[in-house]
Amino acid sequence: MDRTEEKLNKLLDLLSMRSYQLLTYTEELELNHLLDDFPEYTPDYFEPIAALTDATMYVHDDQDLSGMPETLKRKIINDFNTEKDGSTITRILKNIFQAPKLAWAMSFMLVIGTSISMIEFRNYESNYRNLPVKKALLEFSSDDLIEYSWFAQTDEFCDCTGNVMWSDDGQRGFITLAGLPMNDPSKNQYQIWIVDPNMHLNPVDGGVFDITNIDSPTIIPINPKLPIDKAKGFAITLEQAGGVVVSQQPLILTAPKERPRSSYGITPTTI
Amino acid sequence: MNSNVQNIRQTRKKVDTLGNDDSILDLIAKDHPGSFEMLIEKYGNLVWSIGKKFLYNQSDLEDGVQEVLVAIWKSADKFDRNKASEITFISMIARRRFIDYLRKITKHKSEDSLDDENKHINLYKESLLNKETDLALVKSAIEEFDTDDQELLNLSVYQGYSHSEISDILNIPLGTVKTRIRRNLMKLKDTFETNSRLNKVIHLNNG
Repeated sequence: MDRTEEKLNKLLDLLSMRSYQLLTYTEELELNHLLDDFPEYTPDYFEPIAALTDATMYVHDDQDLSGMPETLKRKIINDFNTEKDGSTITRILKNIFQAPKLAWAMSFMLVIGTSISMIEFRNYESNYRNLPVKKALLEFSSDDLIEYSWFAQTDEFCDCTGNVMWSDDGQRGFITLAGLPMNDPSKNQYQIWIVDPNMHLNPVDGGVFDITNIDSPTIIPINPKLPIDKAKGFAITLEQAGGVVVSQQPLILTAPKERPRSSYGITPTTI
Repeated sequence: MNSNVQNIRQTRKKVDTLGNDDSILDLIAKDHPGSFEMLIEKYGNLVWSIGKKFLYNQSDLEDGVQEVLVAIWKSADKFDRNKASEITFISMIARRRFIDYLRKITKHKSEDSLDDENKHINLYKESLLNKETDLALVKSAIEEFDTDDQELLNLSVYQGYSHSEISDILNIPLGTVKTRIRRNLMKLKDTFETNSRLNKVIHLNNG
């Protein structure tokens, strides 16, 4: 077998594996390199047939009597309809105000002393219900969505996994975390920071949150306290209960790994 | 090949008897009222079944299924029936999203069994089978494999076992597992594409 045939077989092995299981980071890298060598193949080469095989076996499986619980169906439909109505209202209000960006509209209103809470035109997420649906809707309705995985800054948090997604246009985002230890909310809380190096000298407070269970991943909305122009990174620290304006604590997690720098050479004074 | 043609003709008879239903994805793309509810009714159980392969924790599974159904709803305008059937499109999105979801969480194997037995599930599966000719085509193609290869496909694609788990279950070397699954998928892909083209020719000839 010559080298090219060997590489092609390796590519097909990885494409086949990708269609039914999670590849390791090394396998993904290898697959990307091989796809460069064989551009006629795409990452989803086997996915349609794997999906159809799965559906075929499911339909003909007389042993599998499981189905989606009716209570879950009703919940998903209710959550979806609630979120759809909310998104429609926000879109309509945005058009009415005709602000080029929500960030500038918010800062203008702050300057004239208008209370944000008087207007429904706000993105502050205080409702922790339906978060998976809200996150999915943000993901698919945002053209400028950025997404990073969390990196631990100390060994103590190296088991943490998850990611952060954010939309500058929507001025909202969500973090997903697993493996973060529970905190005692009466003593301390985790705090999210948004790094926007070209607009803000120091990271912007993105809100505080608690980890109350470690059995499943937690989704937390990001609530920026100042308008964000272009978020380049995020961080998490552990602060006193209620959070702080400027952190003096060590970084726990960052996304991405290295701190983004200002295009204008401005040096931050805090984390 | 003759038995495949017969399978296809029998399945087409069932589809014709039921009449031409609008595709759910077409209705969603047109923002038809109640289309999201229809999506859940028609494909909710299938998405649930796919999710169970990848997510064992009840809470993760429920969140994952919810995310996937919203993802399918948002992707409806990308559906092209000339490239794939509706069930293929939906299964592809579901599988890809669940596999990607695994990147973000740690699998928590739960000892508790899921309370999800559904006494109408056989009727539900029959309704899917009656409306999707692609399922009959793939079943015919799978039936041409020997028993061992059918089992490899079952354990990997359908039941979601990893290569090393399959190697332990069947007592086959790991490398052999990978190679045989790859060859089976290639053969299935080729056979399905050939039979699918043949089916389109039959459809055109029958008017």
